[in-house]
Amino acid sequence: MFLFLALLDSLEEQEKFTELYNHYRHFMWYVANQKLQDAYLAEDAVQEAFFALIRHLDKVEDVYSPRTKKFLATIVRSKVVDILRKQKPEEEYSEELADQKGSADILEQYLTKENYNCLISCILELEDCYRVIFEYKYMYQLSDAQIGDILGISAKNVNIRYFRARKKLQKMIQKEGNRFERA
Amino acid sequence: MKEHEGFSKGEELLSQAIEECLEEDLSFIPPEGEIARKHQFSKRFDQEMQAFLEEISASLHKKRIQRHFSLRYGSIAACLLVFVICGGLFYHVIQNSFDDFTASDQAASVEEIAETAEEAEAGEADAGGGIEEAAEEDAPMDAPAMSQETDKGQTKEYCGRTVELAKLQEVPDRLEGVTTLVNCPVLDEENMLLYLTIGNTGEEDLQYWNQYDLEVWLEDGWYRIPYEEQKDGQWMTLEAGMAVDEEIDLTAYQIDGKAKYRLITYVGQELLGAEFTFEEIFTKTMEDLEEE
Repeated sequence: MFLFLALLDSLEEQEKFTELYNHYRHFMWYVANQKLQDAYLAEDAVQEAFFALIRHLDKVEDVYSPRTKKFLATIVRSKVVDILRKQKPEEEYSEELADQKGSADILEQYLTKENYNCLISCILELEDCYRVIFEYKYMYQLSDAQIGDILGISAKNVNIRYFRARKKLQKMIQKEGNRFERA
Repeated sequence: MKEHEGFSKGEELLSQAIEECLEEDLSFIPPEGEIARKHQFSKRFDQEMQAFLEEISASLHKKRIQRHFSLRYGSIAACLLVFVICGGLFYHVIQNSFDDFTASDQAASVEEIAETAEEAEAGEADAGGGIEEAAEEDAPMDAPAMSQETDKGQTKEYCGRTVELAKLQEVPDRLEGVTTLVNCPVLDEENMLLYLTIGNTGEEDLQYWNQYDLEVWLEDGWYRIPYEEQKDGQWMTLEAGMAVDEEIDLTAYQIDGKAKYRLITYVGQELLGAEFTFEEIFTKTMEDLEEE
């Protein structure tokens, strides 16, 4: 915690952080509680999210902007993922072993306007552990190291998760496409 | 947060889709006030977050203080640095100027130094001379060096005593303004006195030592007869144009009266020698001679 405190350099940043806390703590709790279905664990996720946020306040330009709200939602969801992963670590390990046999990355081919609706439905179904990686990467354009810092994992693991997320999304689009074709 | 930079068209589309999905998810979330009404954070959460916010405030305050002081120290350090640099530049400039000066005037300086050294040497020499002169001037006030020096290597036997050759053989009997004369040089057992007349014919007072050396002529030179009993002497002043008769007690010397003698008198820094001989039978006074 004291390490986080050292990162606040100015009064403006302190005020920004306090405003974010006062304005979004209930919203963040709600997001966390949706996933965890546990009020206390959701509080833990909110707390962890604020601890992580303090290191990335520079990403927040306007406290009350929709983009800031989305960013906080992503952070708290990533903390939810973290809590869930700690609860069931064996699941991810088994997934990693399974992913080693994955196919080639051809996601780019499916990212077309024609497939946009399919893409939307696939992303909505995508697990949060992958979705937050896409959000950090594409919405906030954070580097692997920055994402790893928020998630508490290494940049290499962030990269692994990212390619796993692409493959997962690719598979989902392929399945969804096949379903559309059959229909 | 930057806009989509360096993304391919597919990635742009993916980014757009991800944001749209998130917006859709968030659209189902009720407003903050409504959630706040339904949910109240636990005391643990409130306390921990309140403590966290207070620590942030305290940490920031501490940082501001540290920054303030570090800024001050920084300012002091900067001032010192500027001072050192300026000092260094000043020293450099002065050093260069001095080097130029010494280079151009080196020869002159060397000459000056040599002259100074010579002057110093001359001064020392003068000072030495002055001291000697002063010593010489002061000498009359001290006792003369144990009479006239003798050559201890050349001695003779006289009246059962060893006499030493006087170093100064040629001693004048008169000086400018001073004369000495030995009167009544008669060796008489009843009257063992000599009278030495010292005359100051000059215009200034003179000083003489009232102890006298008695020397005897023995074949090849004057030999000093040692005192039988040394008496304390002192410097006497003789005014200008005046004369004085000094009594010499011959009992202080071991003599036979058969040789030629001289009395050495110290007048100032000079020596005067008054030669005389004793008459074997001269008991009559001058008045008796006149009557005859």
